[in-house]
Amino acid sequence: MAAVKQTVDHVESLEKYKHGFVTDIEQDFAPKGLNADIVRFISAKKNEPEWMLQWRLDAFERWLAMDEPDWAKVSFPKIDYQDSYYYAAPKAKVGINSLDEVDPDILETYKKLGIPLREQEVLAGVIGSPRYAVDAVFDSVSVVTTFKKELAQVGVIFCSMSEAIREHPELVKKYLGSVVPVSDNYFACLNAAVFSDGSFVYVPPGVRCPMELSTYFRINAENSGQFERTLIIADKGAYVSYLEGCTAPMRDENQLHAAVVELVVLDDAEIKYSTVQNWYPGDPETGKGGIYNFVTKRADCRGDRSKVSWTQVETGSAITWKYPSCVLRGEGSSGEFYSIAITNGRQQADTGTKMIHLGANTRSRIISKGISAGRSSNTYRGLVSAHPKAKGARNFTQCDSLLIGKHCAAHTVPYIEARNGHAKFEHEATTTRLSEDQLFYVMQRGLSQEEAVQLLVNGFVKDVLQELPMEFAVEAQKLVAISLEGSVG
Amino acid sequence: MSVTAAIRDRDVAQLPSKRDEEWRWTDLRGLIRILPTPSLAFRGDVGVGPFDELVTRVITLVNGRGEATIDVPPGETAWVALRVISRGDGAHSARVTIQVGAGARLHLFETYEGEGGYLSQTLLAISLAEAASVERVVLAADSPGGVSVSQAEVSLSPRADFAQTVATTGGRRQRIETRVSHPGGHANLRLDGVYLLADKAHADLTTVVTHDGLDGLTEQLTKGVVRDQARGVFQGRIVVAEGADRTDAKMGHHALILSDRAEVDAKPELEIYADDVACAHGNTVGALDEDALFYAQQRGMPETVARALLTEAFVGQVIDRIDQAEAREVIRAWAAERLRA
Repeated sequence: MAAVKQTVDHVESLEKYKHGFVTDIEQDFAPKGLNADIVRFISAKKNEPEWMLQWRLDAFERWLAMDEPDWAKVSFPKIDYQDSYYYAAPKAKVGINSLDEVDPDILETYKKLGIPLREQEVLAGVIGSPRYAVDAVFDSVSVVTTFKKELAQVGVIFCSMSEAIREHPELVKKYLGSVVPVSDNYFACLNAAVFSDGSFVYVPPGVRCPMELSTYFRINAENSGQFERTLIIADKGAYVSYLEGCTAPMRDENQLHAAVVELVVLDDAEIKYSTVQNWYPGDPETGKGGIYNFVTKRADCRGDRSKVSWTQVETGSAITWKYPSCVLRGEGSSGEFYSIAITNGRQQADTGTKMIHLGANTRSRIISKGISAGRSSNTYRGLVSAHPKAKGARNFTQCDSLLIGKHCAAHTVPYIEARNGHAKFEHEATTTRLSEDQLFYVMQRGLSQEEAVQLLVNGFVKDVLQELPMEFAVEAQKLVAISLEGSVG
Repeated sequence: MSVTAAIRDRDVAQLPSKRDEEWRWTDLRGLIRILPTPSLAFRGDVGVGPFDELVTRVITLVNGRGEATIDVPPGETAWVALRVISRGDGAHSARVTIQVGAGARLHLFETYEGEGGYLSQTLLAISLAEAASVERVVLAADSPGGVSVSQAEVSLSPRADFAQTVATTGGRRQRIETRVSHPGGHANLRLDGVYLLADKAHADLTTVVTHDGLDGLTEQLTKGVVRDQARGVFQGRIVVAEGADRTDAKMGHHALILSDRAEVDAKPELEIYADDVACAHGNTVGALDEDALFYAQQRGMPETVARALLTEAFVGQVIDRIDQAEAREVIRAWAAERLRA
């Protein structure tokens, strides 16, 4: 019950959207709009080599020829891509070596963010603070990367993408765009042209990364789309767990977020990628404002017996449109997807996963829990496919939806494609509302309606919560409660 | 994009293609390069249909021609066999209107019988008045070279009862689509299907059920067995509109793939806008259970017999749900013949 009590206390202490504040620091903007010159500007700002500029320009060319997709069950006003800033950096400080040099306002921002991660302690250099390596992306530019030395000792490269382009061009050239090709989809292509920064991780063969790697993004500048690009490579036999947490300040204009995450997993390697997404969901009454979260996340299990595990807790954003996927190429490779998606107010989420079984004896598991409240809409959309060579492929999918209130919607759209006689796919889905009996029982035991709902919802999502790394699980549980605040009664 | 428009205008570009989300696994545009010329009238003998003995009226539509209205007055019971026959390589389209009055009963046994490389479309409009009851059993035996699309629009009234079982061996491309408008009001709906596909056959069973009112019940169970290079498609969508509370909807689709080159594609969808509902779907695709096979062989059964027995039992679960006993036995014999081959 301690956790529940904690949840309740936390909810009470909360005013509306806690992370809705703006840090006023001098921004270095690219001019508004998008054209080849902006792409050149971004590239120049980041001191990129010529090959990178060419890569971006090529992507931009292709993007111009593409049409914005509209198949997801979400609706939003047409985005004017010329009305956004594509680059905003905190005022440049050359060669930040120590935390003292970080803009105090930024540190203040981290403090205000509070719980999501304990980075601010790490950033502030608190002795005995937990050992997380943080690559904090503050409006597109990685401000500081801690624990780099400790990681370097075991050969792990953990740095910002721009640094990786400068320091490790051979790795970037080899892997960037190899999982999500430049013209994969409209938003990934846009990202390839204008991505500002992101994290780069390389774990060498046989190394088990000694700490959880984490980063978090925070969209700060008004009207600036954020386009991170993350690339994680686990070489043969390596293991890494990566945490991503997000919060964003309150804003009236819709903000576009089109990130790309690429994971490359070689023989016997494993990547665990966890996300807690808590961006501003827009005004609960009108749906005004809020983040558009159009993300392409994909893992390529190239090696035999490789493994990828995606865990996500999606509570924020006005519109979420993402499908973390696994391409199970290597023999015996496996993919997992654990998801909690919560929509409230006017939020719309269309999220799920793709498990593409290419290799023999590949396995995948999907557990998706969707909760809709208010006037929101929550869609699970997934694909499980087995190609003729994927003999012995195995999938289990469970997607459950919970409806709270009369005006919300929950949809389940699974695609199953089996192309050989030795694959075994199982899928089950349910849609229900909170059970009156259970609510009655819990309230009879002395809990208020709000507490009762929180308790039952936490039970509903437990299967996924326990897949999160410890330090995220507690936070995520609170987030679940906060997201559903005011949805009952 | 519609088959109707394509046949009417003789315009191949209007055929649905895999770019149309609802047709992604049944691509007609990519298959048909030139739209066939309109089918000529067929004067030959079309023989006897499998359900002729069970009914009092047989309606025969050959190459889109013939009378096709079924009207069951309130309170009466009708037994009708509807034979949709295609002969030759032309294109044709037929329309069937079925009206079942209040409290009336209709036993409808529908067959698709084809020979040749035709493009055939059948549109059915079926409406049930209050407390009317219909059992529709469809046996689709299109030719391996035929392209066939059957689209039924079913409209239910409160307390009506509509039960359907589709049994098919597929065609070159075949789609049997059923769209039901479900008003709730304690109306019952059952939509079942069995597909047994071999060689290069393709069958697509698509259903869309829209619940618009309180207290609706829907049950769906489809099972399929595919071998060789056949391809089975199941698309089921259940929509529960806002306010359609106390809807109880269940959907199941289970398929066995018995060869390395066969394919099964499934999309069981739920689209829910009301909170007081109980909706669920289950979907499995896999091979025959090796343990069960081993057990049967251990009891002295030759492997081929054991396989036939297990697959018959697998689809038998759907066939058992057919209410009308004689029609159930016709379908059971049809399945046994194909599974033992």
